[in-house]
Amino acid sequence: MTRAQAHPHVGSTASHEAELVARLRAGDEQAFETLVDEYYPMMLSVARGYVRSRAVAEEVVQEAWLGVLKGLDRFEGRSSLKTWIMRILANIAISRGTREARSQPFSSFAVHDDEPAVDTDRFRDSSDGFPGHWRAYPRDWGTLPDGALLGKETLGVAMQAIEELPDSQRVVITMRDVAGCEAAEVCEALDVSEGNQRVLLHRARSKVRAALERHFDG
Amino acid sequence: MAESADHITCMEVVELVNDYLERTLPPDEVTVFEQHLNFCDGCDLYVEQLKRTVETVGEIREDDVPAEAKERLLSAFRDWKRS
Amino acid sequence: MIAYKFLRDDATGVFTGFAWPLPGDGPGAWVEARVEQCRSGIHACRTADLPLWAGRRLYEIELDGDIVEAPTKVVASRGRLVRRLDGWDGLRGEYTRMCADRAHDLALGASPPLAQWDAVVEPSIPEGPALLGFVAARIAEEISGLDAYHAERRRQADWLAERLDLHQNPPPGQGAPA
Repeated sequence: MTRAQAHPHVGSTASHEAELVARLRAGDEQAFETLVDEYYPMMLSVARGYVRSRAVAEEVVQEAWLGVLKGLDRFEGRSSLKTWIMRILANIAISRGTREARSQPFSSFAVHDDEPAVDTDRFRDSSDGFPGHWRAYPRDWGTLPDGALLGKETLGVAMQAIEELPDSQRVVITMRDVAGCEAAEVCEALDVSEGNQRVLLHRARSKVRAALERHFDG
Repeated sequence: MAESADHITCMEVVELVNDYLERTLPPDEVTVFEQHLNFCDGCDLYVEQLKRTVETVGEIREDDVPAEAKERLLSAFRDWKRS
Repeated sequence: MIAYKFLRDDATGVFTGFAWPLPGDGPGAWVEARVEQCRSGIHACRTADLPLWAGRRLYEIELDGDIVEAPTKVVASRGRLVRRLDGWDGLRGEYTRMCADRAHDLALGASPPLAQWDAVVEPSIPEGPALLGFVAARIAEEISGLDAYHAERRRQADWLAERLDLHQNPPPGQGAPA
C-alpha cells in the first residue's frame, strides 16, 4: 500500500494543511497523531541519514517533534508544513551529528568529485573504434522473473546500497525516492541548491543501480 | 556537453540520464539525448535500468512509528497543550 | 504541413509510449498537445530528419495548429496519421545494408584505413538502420570532420526520400524544396 493510500486524509494541499495546523493549535490530539503517523517514518529515515545509530536517530526525531510543537504558534504557512517540519528535523540532525562521536563529520551538501556513474572500462576507447560506446550492453531487466525487481531480496539489496552511500547522497535519495518528496521540498528543507540536489540524486541513484546490477548479474 | 553538439557518446548518456528523467535537461540536449537512445539499444537498456531502480527504491517501506515513541510524543503533545 | 513519424511496432510513440489513433479508410483521429519546446507536442520529421529518427514503423503525418521547426524535428500542437508508409518495412534492411556498405567504403578508403571502425560495422547490423546510419556518418566525421557527418546524413535522407517517394522538406535555412 502506498503512503497516499494509507493516509488518504493527509495531503500537502495548502487548504488541508491550514486546517491541520488550526486543529493542532486548538489542541486536537487526533490531528497530531495523524501528523505523526504520516511524517515519523520519513523523519526517521532521514535522521538515520545524518546519525546512523537508530537509537540516536529516534531521539533526533523526538526532539524535532518538540521543536514542531514549540514553533507551531509561529508557523505562518509560507512554506508547506512538510518542508517546515523537515527543516526543523534537518537542523537538529546536523547539530546532533556534529556532536556525535563519529569517525567523520557529516559531509556537507557541497558537491565534490566522485566516481563516474558507470565504470569507464565498460566503454570502448579510441583505440577500439566507436569510442565511448558500450563494450557490452547492460542486461534487459524486463526479462527478469515477475516480481524480481520488487521482491524482498531486491529491496534488501537496494536498502543496503543506500546504507552505504555517502551521507549527503543517502539523505537526498531517501527524501526523494523513499519518502517521495519533491525536488523543491528537498532543496528548501536541506538548504541545498537545485543543481547540487540533482547531482547528489544522480550519484545516489547510479550507485544503487550498480548494486542491483551486481546482484542480478551474480 | 559532448564530443560534438550533434551527437553524444554512451559514456556521456549515463551522466545525463538523471537530468533527462528529472526533465531538467535543456531542450536541445533532450533532442540529442533522444536521438542517441533511438539508435543505441545499450543506452535504452541503461535508462530502463535506472527507471526500475527508482521504482524499486520507491517500494522501500519505512518502519511504522514504534508504539513507545508514539506514546512519548502524545504525552509531549498533552504537556504542550497544557502550557 | 505534411511530415513523417516513426512509431514502435505496436504503433506507440518511441519516447512517450502514446498509442496513436491509426489510419483506416481515412486518416486517424487528430491528436492535440501543448507545444513546449522539446518537452511536449506532436513530434515529427521532415525528410532531412528521417535518418536521425529511423525506427520500426513509418507514417505520413499531417500537422496543424502551432508548428515549430527545430533543427532536427518539427513540433506541432495538432497532428493526425494520414497513412502508413509500408514501403519502409521492406526498405529497412536495404537501407541498413546501404549504410553498412558506405561505412565500409569510408573506413577502408581512409588513409590509413580505419580498421577498428570497420570492425564495428557488421556486428551493428542487427541493431538496425538508426545505428548504421549513425556509424556511417560518424566514420565520415572521423575522416573529414563535422561537415562530412552532415553531408553523409543528407545523403541518407536523399536516399530515403527517393526510395520512399517522399516530398523533400529541407530543414530551415537550406532553401526551397525541389
